[in-house]
Amino acid sequence: MIRYLKIYKECIKVDFATASTYRLNFFLNCIIMLLGDIFFPLITVLIYGSGAGFEGWTVYEVLLIQSVFTMSTAIADMTFHGIMWATMDLVRNGGMEMVLILPVDTMFILMARTFSFEGIGLFAGGAAIFTIAILNIPAPSVWEWLQFLAFFISGLFVMMGIGLIMAAISFKWVGNSRIPEIFDCIRSFGKYPQSVFPKAILVFTSFLIPVAMIAYCPAAALLGRGNMTMFLMILPCVIFLLFGIFLYKYMVRLYQGVGG
Amino acid sequence: MDNNAKDIITVKGLTKKYITYKRGSGFKESVKALFVREKVPVIAVNDISFSVRDGDIIGLLGPNGAGKSTTIKMLTGTLYPTCGTIEVMGYNPTKNRKNYVRQIGAVFGQRSQLIWDIPPLDSFRMNKAIYSISDEEFEERVSFMAKLFMVEDLIKRPTRVLSLGERMKCEFIMAMLHNPKVVFLDEPTIGLDVIAKHNIRDFIRRMNGMGTTFILTTHDLEDVEQLARKVIIINKGVKVFDDTIENLKKVLGAKKIVQLTLLKEVGTLDIPGASILERESPLKMTVSVDLERMPINEFMAKLSEQCAFSDISVKEMPMDTIITHIYQSKGIEQPDK
Amino acid sequence: MRALKRQLNVLRAVAVVTYKEWSAYRTHSMVSILVGPVYFIVQYFIWTALFKGRTEINGMDLNQMITYFGASTLIGYLTMDFADWNLQMLIRTGKFLTFALRPIHHRFFALSQKLGHRFLGLIFEFIPCYIIFSVLFKAPLMPAHIGWTVLSVALAFLMVFYIHYILGMTAFWFTQASGIRRVFDLLSGIFSGVYIPLVFFPQWLQKALFFMPFSYMSYVPVMVFTGIFTLAGVRIDIPVIVGIQAFMVIITILFSEILYRASMRRFNGVGA
Repeated sequence: MIRYLKIYKECIKVDFATASTYRLNFFLNCIIMLLGDIFFPLITVLIYGSGAGFEGWTVYEVLLIQSVFTMSTAIADMTFHGIMWATMDLVRNGGMEMVLILPVDTMFILMARTFSFEGIGLFAGGAAIFTIAILNIPAPSVWEWLQFLAFFISGLFVMMGIGLIMAAISFKWVGNSRIPEIFDCIRSFGKYPQSVFPKAILVFTSFLIPVAMIAYCPAAALLGRGNMTMFLMILPCVIFLLFGIFLYKYMVRLYQGVGG
Repeated sequence: MDNNAKDIITVKGLTKKYITYKRGSGFKESVKALFVREKVPVIAVNDISFSVRDGDIIGLLGPNGAGKSTTIKMLTGTLYPTCGTIEVMGYNPTKNRKNYVRQIGAVFGQRSQLIWDIPPLDSFRMNKAIYSISDEEFEERVSFMAKLFMVEDLIKRPTRVLSLGERMKCEFIMAMLHNPKVVFLDEPTIGLDVIAKHNIRDFIRRMNGMGTTFILTTHDLEDVEQLARKVIIINKGVKVFDDTIENLKKVLGAKKIVQLTLLKEVGTLDIPGASILERESPLKMTVSVDLERMPINEFMAKLSEQCAFSDISVKEMPMDTIITHIYQSKGIEQPDK
Repeated sequence: MRALKRQLNVLRAVAVVTYKEWSAYRTHSMVSILVGPVYFIVQYFIWTALFKGRTEINGMDLNQMITYFGASTLIGYLTMDFADWNLQMLIRTGKFLTFALRPIHHRFFALSQKLGHRFLGLIFEFIPCYIIFSVLFKAPLMPAHIGWTVLSVALAFLMVFYIHYILGMTAFWFTQASGIRRVFDLLSGIFSGVYIPLVFFPQWLQKALFFMPFSYMSYVPVMVFTGIFTLAGVRIDIPVIVGIQAFMVIITILFSEILYRASMRRFNGVGA
């Protein structure tokens, strides 16, 4: 365990060194990432600005969901989503062997090695909108903040699960740079108040691929709308992550069996 | 060399088969391929057995696509064999990968472990954490190997500004920081200049002198001649030679390949021990010279008497010629190329 | 006449080769068969919810909105382009020189490539998604004026190509041209109307968009598809807006030609 923490620390140091070597590029990427994702809550503002809106949801309440989504995405991009790109690259150019000869868990080292500070701008942007939204809703209680935290972490499990499944797919679907698009489109259900979707889709977003947990449930908790179903949804989130881990490890073994 | 040394690697009946799919081109084919794909079975390694003694250097030779890399991948535990057994230092590489790979080192000439944008020394620290090397041991190993390679200052510069040869030296240091007993090298000198090759070979010899066993794949006969004590040659997944370097030389004879660009066409060469292998064009030809019958200086003297040439180069025997010789010496027919 | 025929032959040959080359990656195109419909479902429910209790938002009704997002996705498959990436790569790696040595204008070569590549998009993205949208989801996806729509999409095809080609040429002038490309991608994503119809933007911005290339790449053909075109509070007849689009395409072509000549002078002079 301590060894893994040490490895992670080294990886963060490496990323920091790389970012400071290419400062200009780093800041540019930070800003582009921020602008690309921040436009999305802006659409909500444009829609509400035109007088339309989701029934029963003020603009700040919707922005709360979307800012939580942005923060979750930023954390995922910084810490564990890199495994998707790394796996894709390594499988395509045959460099996976260089990872397999290291005496550490393959999944861990790929996540650690792709740690990236570039998501920090996006996180700051998300946090800023989050703060604005929080100041425009009734102040949540401590209990609601605790719920928020529990749901937010469960949401990160879902993020990681999806990332791992996509990375696992790239073992088979070699060199398909569009795999992350699939990932984005599945997640897009999680950016809105779930009341807009019909029952059939809700079952899907709550229990099968629980993307509702990424942002909707944490935001609902802060709005005092947390309920028992949301707590029950934590279980499918954990299962989903475990499935992602299992699938990824399985694909690594399969890759070793077949080879590049 | 200790003749009573124990076997450190034992390989028995190693085989790797896999299935690839045929890809069609054109519209009709592409639509068809959506539904049915034609399977093409490939046998990359076919029933190979050999053993390596502790403290040895063995060369795994073969033309491109012979199955060398597949064999090395299986030996390093990164690829599972279809059948057959491998035992390295008592480990089965396919089982308990993490514990096994901690004991070995590997340098794959075409794949870098170094991180492009930061100095090699920082990349080394990454492996220090991964292999849990203590501070003292790390300092000692780095300074010892950096001194051996004379790269003490270079390892503090960003990797991207280093030359290929300098990077390769750093790759070696990185792969051997944890003092592995067995080191696998896949084409370690590929693309390097003569001096860098010499430095790397020297390093391998020095480390071998300190007890490290090396297994290297290469298609450079010189690597093997200068380093290996034992040679294993693989062709089309099958082991065709497994003996000492001296015995390989006996089979091959001391032959050199001479490429000539002539000024005027000649019919035949009347030099004992020399024969024309190929005529690429009326003014270009390749000649093989048996050095036991005809020393190279005598050959040159006779050659300049018999014909006028504008260019000449003397080379080692290419891999496919070696393979042909081995098949001939065994009296078996060579499979189609 | 002979010259034209020769050009057409080259165009066809390059397009066919590109098609074959990329059909090895057809499963990459087919990701759209999953992604397109999923995004469409999301948009469908969001806008159905937003239209609850109202008949129009910013002058568009629900039907037009659904058609808008469906058509926007589909037209995107026909006009998508990466000539910028490709040209920058050729320039950076020095491979552009091989084109300078051949008796063909690289821009014409690239356009032929795009034709082949988008034919692949037509077969593996446009047609399957069109069927899914209109048969499975029963989305209203009949263009109001088929002739004008085809013309407008063709103009958008050219607009996207020439704009991207211009972006690609920036690599003749700057070493870090990929940043320019990414910033442009971001802007065009927002201002071409892919995420939201441009009528949602503030009035001043809508007016400004008339004079920028973005709307002619997606918003114009999509609105022509729906049959009603409005921007900045002005409703414009379909033939008129297609005429304006054609005019903007011509200006872009002229600009691309000027930049190409300047780039060639630089290329031949500096050997960049």
